[in-house]
Amino acid sequence: MKDRTLVLGLGNDLLGDDGVGLTVARVVESRHQQRDVDVVESGEAGLALLEIIDGYRRVVIVDAIQTGQVEAGTVMIYGPEDFRRVVAPSAHYSGLPEVLELGARIGCDMPRDLKVVAIEIADPLHFSTELTEKVAHAIEEAVSKVLGLLGEPALQAR
Amino acid sequence: MESNGQKHITVDPITRLEGHGKIDIFLDDKGDVERAYFQVPELRGFEVFSLGRPAEDMPQITSRICGVCPTAHHMASTKALDHLYHVEPPRPARLVRELVYNAFMLEDHALHVYVLGGPDFIVGPEAPAAERNILGVIGKVGLEVGQRVIATRRRVRELITHVAGKVIHPVFGLPGGVSKGLSPDDVPGFKQLAKDGLDFAQFTLQVFKDIVLANREYVELIKSDAYTHKTYYMGLVDEKNQPNFYDGDIRVVDPNGKEFAKFKEVQYLDHIAEHVEPWSYVKFCYLKNVGWKGFKGGIDDGVYSVAPLARLNVADAMATPIAQEAFLEYEAALGPRPIHHTLANHWARVIEMVYAAERLVEIMDDPEVASDNLRVIPTATPDKGIGVVEAPRGTLFHHFETDPNGILTLVNLIVATQNNSARMAMSVETAAKALIHGFDVSEGLLNKVEMAFRAYDPCHACATHSMPGQMPLVVRLHGSDGTLLEEIKR
Repeated sequence: MKDRTLVLGLGNDLLGDDGVGLTVARVVESRHQQRDVDVVESGEAGLALLEIIDGYRRVVIVDAIQTGQVEAGTVMIYGPEDFRRVVAPSAHYSGLPEVLELGARIGCDMPRDLKVVAIEIADPLHFSTELTEKVAHAIEEAVSKVLGLLGEPALQAR
Repeated sequence: MESNGQKHITVDPITRLEGHGKIDIFLDDKGDVERAYFQVPELRGFEVFSLGRPAEDMPQITSRICGVCPTAHHMASTKALDHLYHVEPPRPARLVRELVYNAFMLEDHALHVYVLGGPDFIVGPEAPAAERNILGVIGKVGLEVGQRVIATRRRVRELITHVAGKVIHPVFGLPGGVSKGLSPDDVPGFKQLAKDGLDFAQFTLQVFKDIVLANREYVELIKSDAYTHKTYYMGLVDEKNQPNFYDGDIRVVDPNGKEFAKFKEVQYLDHIAEHVEPWSYVKFCYLKNVGWKGFKGGIDDGVYSVAPLARLNVADAMATPIAQEAFLEYEAALGPRPIHHTLANHWARVIEMVYAAERLVEIMDDPEVASDNLRVIPTATPDKGIGVVEAPRGTLFHHFETDPNGILTLVNLIVATQNNSARMAMSVETAAKALIHGFDVSEGLLNKVEMAFRAYDPCHACATHSMPGQMPLVVRLHGSDGTLLEEIKR
């Protein structure tokens, strides 16, 4: 097992708010000061995630979410215990919980510590490279939360 | 979980994409199904987003539309650029494109067979839904199979990355060729990989035969009326009417298997039209020269289907020997062709895995595969370009028009799932009609409906996320006066 930490930004940067996880990961990459942290951005799904996280001791995923229960721009932190395992009817819906369990069962090095920093979004269905205002405002908070999880004091915006 | 340290909410998969994946079922006075409507989310504004950009950017942009089939979009756009700039790639470039493309088809089909749709059969249609996934598959066929799936997929993806760059941001296809080929040093390793890929595909065919075909109940299910629709079929074929994923003519056969049309991609608008229903964002593609008759099926209705089942229905034979043998066996068991059973898509998909792997072996044995003659530089003025490929989920069209400087003035994409949308709606309605009588909804309605549309391997919301992955399916039953009687959620 690599004694390293992975920050993984997920989403689609062509679908407006959907790409916020990628933006946050990019800011984290420019600010974090730890040698044992890798930052990766991905727009892939399902089993591809297994290949990315395999071997990391600690993983922080940054992702967009649409619960419909909180204001857009709300930043939340989830752990694996918050996931429910489900069946995916299409590649677009294959989820992390299944991937984690599969990895563990077939002997991959699954992270001992995994958190998801999720940003509630407003609109993931229109093609755009812009974030909506509330979501754009949430970037700083999400970055702070990621850096906090990495054990760094939240750095001031530069 | 925590939210600013104050608020507690639960993560419910159903709310991941609120309000999508809706099925509305309308009952008549007797409580039987009159109509069922299947609605899915649709991404909007792609054309507006693209206009005014250089057409040359499209292979990069379209490959980012979707985290599942980036390679299909990249290749369709690249071929549209060849056409737009009036340039034909040299043979070695075409070989490298086909190599990458078949590697992609192999790994994407493997994903569906073992992880997404296949588990319905490998684990069993009567197994609890929670077990019908890759974990159920390894429970049934053994841990080492799971390891093999992961390892083979990883190696095939490494091949794609080696040649084409990052899967989601490929820097590979250029008008008139490719940016990078294979070096002679790459050849032995990739030859071995192609052979291992073929072993894996043949092994998968054996798993499918042992578990699915040896089980009479499963075969009966595949052949049952609930999953059968007599429609037209469409797919790309070579000059011998054998399926080819990368290139060819578009062939359409009627519900009796007779060739109805065969045309070049530039003629697609002469053959395909889109029907709009008030209840859905999705535009339903149909054959213009047959006409829209409203989800009826049969020879008078222009509804057609794409994807593995359709590709094998438009074929006279497979282009490679082991796939051909499997094709004959498939035809003997379910035929005569055309085979109208939606669930036969799963078997057809495995046969296509074998073909893709055999094609990889052939390409790696080609003396020109490591040639450095990889590009013809375009010199003509761009105007209009149309590219077509067979994506894993079916025929994919990219159509671009530009001004003389190559700036986009028109963009039209028809994706595989759009081609299949009318037949998918028919499948949902058929399941509803079979399972709802006299206001009584049978157990397993959602399951039946899901099995039908999972066989198409549908592509609905093109984004990827870490959150629980369930398709948020909601079924709503309405009385004859439109009042909501019942709502079933998963």
